[in-house]
Amino acid sequence: MEKDFSEKKFAGLIQRTLLAGVFLSAFLIFSGFAFIISGSAAGAPMLRAGILALLLTPAARVVMLIYGYWRGGEYYFALASFVVLGLLLVSALV
Amino acid sequence: MPELTAFNFAVLVSFGVFIGLMGSAMGIGGGIFMVPFLVLALKVPIHQAVAASLVAIVATSSAVAAVNVERGLANIRLGITLEVTTALGSIVGALIASRLPSAAMQLMFALMLFPVSALMFLKGRRPHKPAEAVPAGAASVFDSGFFDPAAAAHMPYSVRNMTPASFISFFAGSLSGLLGIGGGIVQVPVMNLLCGVPMKAAAATSNFIIGVSAAASAYVYFRQGVIPLELTAIIVVGVLIGSFLGIYALYKTRSEKLQLVFSALTLLVAVKMLLVSLRAL
Repeated sequence: MEKDFSEKKFAGLIQRTLLAGVFLSAFLIFSGFAFIISGSAAGAPMLRAGILALLLTPAARVVMLIYGYWRGGEYYFALASFVVLGLLLVSALV
Repeated sequence: MPELTAFNFAVLVSFGVFIGLMGSAMGIGGGIFMVPFLVLALKVPIHQAVAASLVAIVATSSAVAAVNVERGLANIRLGITLEVTTALGSIVGALIASRLPSAAMQLMFALMLFPVSALMFLKGRRPHKPAEAVPAGAASVFDSGFFDPAAAAHMPYSVRNMTPASFISFFAGSLSGLLGIGGGIVQVPVMNLLCGVPMKAAAATSNFIIGVSAAASAYVYFRQGVIPLELTAIIVVGVLIGSFLGIYALYKTRSEKLQLVFSALTLLVAVKMLLVSLRAL
């Protein structure tokens, strides 16, 4: 890893990505339930968006791995991350 | 599908909390309990139960991995390498599952629970040892280390046998997609016994991996519209609460006794599930 992009910074980036996805998903799910309780039709789409945000969180984490390993010059792991992202894309399309 | 009354809501959230706590304590996603609970107790069709379970696994993995990565417990290089074959396996598993009748899936799930129960029992009976530092051998890019609070020391370790581990990870991924379990029940012993990764790091790395394998299968179910929205969202709320509670409450807990309890519980669930699926055939 480069000195200006240490393991600690990399771990922090992964952590923030995962937490952002989890909290965004929780926010959308709670909002969805609030809409459902208030009788609004926006409830179900909001729940769907919350679950989608959660499911996209691991993919976002893989994107950060590609970025981190590429920036750190560890191209083998950047390539492995890229293959995983490709597989996630395939699974979303099949 | 169960009617979502206030009682069912409370039951689902509580169950989600239990699954989240378990994920934090044992590094597994909890699908081995969630799928039978949804099928046997709430009469949810098994394909929907598997889909809901996969989403819950993504939730617990993301929440727990966020902290494990920051603590240096999860070996990211090892994780991303094993994720390649795991993700491939989980797509294959999900595609097979979508073509299987419910009764066949239930029977497969029941049969899979017996070895899982035996594995948990064996793990639970092994005396607890703090992680041991592995002497430096031929260095590999996967070698890592972590701080073990039980030993109050930094524990470096070497990683070996990556090729067979990658093949077995394909099998773990297939189980994930086919039956809605994260695959941690296979990944943790593989990393610990085959690769030489200490148990704590193996559990944390497995937790890191199962998020991707569960997501890969869940995308297939999401596109097919199989995920029961409200039910899954309620469980996710519980799972997230349980995961965050577990991360801080169970960091130093020993999981051996839990393993024995869950081993007995898994055996009971396996028998019940087998009887139900044989009746349905």
